[in-house]
Amino acid sequence: MSAQAELGKQIFRDVSLSGSGNQSCASCHDPNNGHAAPNSLAVQLGGPSLNLQGTRSSPSIRYLASNTAFHFDTEGTPTGGFFWDGRAASLQDQAGRPFLNPVEMANASVADVIAKLSHASYAAQFQQVFGADIFSRPDDAFARLTLALQQFQLEDADFHPFSSKYDAFLRGAAKLSDQELRGLALFNNPNKGNCAACHPSAKGVDGSHPLFTDFTYDTLGVPRNPEIGANADPAHFDLGLCARQGGDLVARTDLCGAFKVPSLRNVAMRHALFHNGRFKSLKDALTFYVQRDTNPEKWYPLNTDGSVNKFDDLPAAYRANVNTSEVPYNRHPGDAPALSDAEIDDVIAFLSTLNDGYMP
Amino acid sequence: MNPRHLLAMPLKAVLAAGLTCLAGAVFAQSADPDEMARRVDELASELATVKKQLSELEQQKANAMPASSAAEEPTTVFTSYGEINYNRPTHEPENAQADLRRFVFGFQHRFDAQTKLVTEIEFEHAVTSAEDPGEAEIEQAMIEHSLNPTWAVRAGLFLMPVGLLNENHEPTAYYGVERNFVETAIIPTTWREGGVQVVGTFENGVTFQTGVTTGFDLAKWDATSPEGALSPLGSIHQELALARAYDLSIFGALNWRGIPGLLVGGSLFTGGATQGQAVVSASVTLWDLHARWTPGRWDFAALYSSGSISNTAALNMPLVGNPTLIPESFDGGYVQAAYKLWMHGSQVLSPFVRLEQFNTGRRYADLGPGLTPAARPTEQVATVGMNYQITPGVVVKADVQHFREDQDADRVDLGLGWSF
Repeated sequence: MSAQAELGKQIFRDVSLSGSGNQSCASCHDPNNGHAAPNSLAVQLGGPSLNLQGTRSSPSIRYLASNTAFHFDTEGTPTGGFFWDGRAASLQDQAGRPFLNPVEMANASVADVIAKLSHASYAAQFQQVFGADIFSRPDDAFARLTLALQQFQLEDADFHPFSSKYDAFLRGAAKLSDQELRGLALFNNPNKGNCAACHPSAKGVDGSHPLFTDFTYDTLGVPRNPEIGANADPAHFDLGLCARQGGDLVARTDLCGAFKVPSLRNVAMRHALFHNGRFKSLKDALTFYVQRDTNPEKWYPLNTDGSVNKFDDLPAAYRANVNTSEVPYNRHPGDAPALSDAEIDDVIAFLSTLNDGYMP
Repeated sequence: MNPRHLLAMPLKAVLAAGLTCLAGAVFAQSADPDEMARRVDELASELATVKKQLSELEQQKANAMPASSAAEEPTTVFTSYGEINYNRPTHEPENAQADLRRFVFGFQHRFDAQTKLVTEIEFEHAVTSAEDPGEAEIEQAMIEHSLNPTWAVRAGLFLMPVGLLNENHEPTAYYGVERNFVETAIIPTTWREGGVQVVGTFENGVTFQTGVTTGFDLAKWDATSPEGALSPLGSIHQELALARAYDLSIFGALNWRGIPGLLVGGSLFTGGATQGQAVVSASVTLWDLHARWTPGRWDFAALYSSGSISNTAALNMPLVGNPTLIPESFDGGYVQAAYKLWMHGSQVLSPFVRLEQFNTGRRYADLGPGLTPAARPTEQVATVGMNYQITPGVVVKADVQHFREDQDADRVDLGLGWSF
């Protein structure tokens, strides 16, 4: 790796760069867990005393090298960007924000981060790469810090190993079991799972292996998660794309409730799924996908009149934004779910082949 | 004539018999070997006389105008063809569409008596830009060099000598508003490749072509798109646009025009199509047999083509569950009859009927229970219509098409075409 990336590697694991002194990038993006959260908490705790809770789960930061800044594609589909709402334009932009987030690494300021960096064991190395006076210019130093993190993510193969069983299968070096193949077929089938519509599974024209995300956004109507403290306030809603920091999409109320489509690589390693960590297992998540509309009472609370408060994590005005047109959501109470229980197990078997580190 | 009634006929049998009938019909009245031999001798004698007279005339012409002859032949010739079509689905008229299907211009430039450049530049759908549906493309860009009166070499981007339509695809050259389905779904007209070929044109009416070219790229196969079901090879052709060229292909075509009005021929193409991009190697093979016979006012044609792709099981395994897997084989054929019903000066009115049968997914490799796709249904299309030649090079067309499988596709077509 380059000298910048080597610095980034050290910064990535340096807990001293946090307000608590006990949290690093790796704390929420654990290399041993697909660079995603290491536990089943809906939201990782942060802040000066590591007792503050934000509102979103920690996504994996693997396989992001080819992601782009947020934009609307030629058909008007929101695409790209980093974080669940695409508010960061690059890996570098993304890397800098947790340092200053009061419920994450909780540094008081850029100068605060750089002051800590200047006392790090690799401070001299940082000066050697970026100049002896770099710490006297905190804004420049912070930009170099985030640049180093970006380079680390781009250059370290651990962030894009393509070492899953499915990758081996695509290379002709492994065979999927019958159940895994059935799961793949259900995953691809536009009339069954239809998962590949947002999580493409085929190699690219250039031979590149699939990332299992199209980097777009979708409004799924994931149930409200009572684990998140902010949700105790019935007036609080996490609106995602339309309410993101900067307010650039505030007028796009049709995007309220939309969150980024994550890669499904290593998804079987995760212990909290969706932006609010509402589901803890793939079985629950997939069952929600296919029974959300056939059995809404299983997922949402009842209103006082006995009706189902469907899409309860969105204000009533935005519930029409939820995707109800595509398979498997295009169902109604009484319809058969798009996948049976056994078929869900097949899909989970396939998803498990997406874990990096396959050893034949 | 109602095209539905045509499809009630045993189309497969008609199709199978078509090619042999066309060739056989030419000799039908000469079934006696002695009689046939006598007529061949007569024809040979007449041909020798004509050739001698032609040679004398050419010699006289050369002697009379030795200096000016070459100068009068233009070194650069401008060409063009195009068509504007209107399609009105019978059952879904709200989907009626008018389109400047293609506007093509080209030029041929002769460098010397032996060497010329042939080009074609095509625009489709009237407007070409990032936001519009049109395409701009080079259909031909090749150098042809004559080695002697019999043999020539072509190099560059050229049309593949396959079927009846691919090399002669101008709207004035075929019946019906739209090109036939077999020569678009099975043979991906207008199909061109980059490469080198030799062309032999013999006095006995035989034309032989063979060469080495670029080929298809199976990495382009999109299992989520219906495109591969509409035309398997059309979805993976490369058109010499940054074409992957790890694998090369070879082809051969033999056509015989030994009897005036009759063309009988066939072609074979085969080549690797994974281009070093896949874990297994796969090849595409396509062949066809075709015949056209124009006795008097009649114009009969028949064609059958079949394609195959090898190692599709391995290629399809990662794509299971998707709607469009790679077929192991696909094929189709048609028979067609036209008649010059009315002629006045250069105006010609020619009603025609065409019966087609094709399947873009005739067979799929076994992927195991529950994963192997079912073969696609065989589509049959009956087309009844007429070409009205206003003057040589300008044609107005109208037809009605009935689809046996996809009856929503039934439609009425109108077209205007030109070529010079």
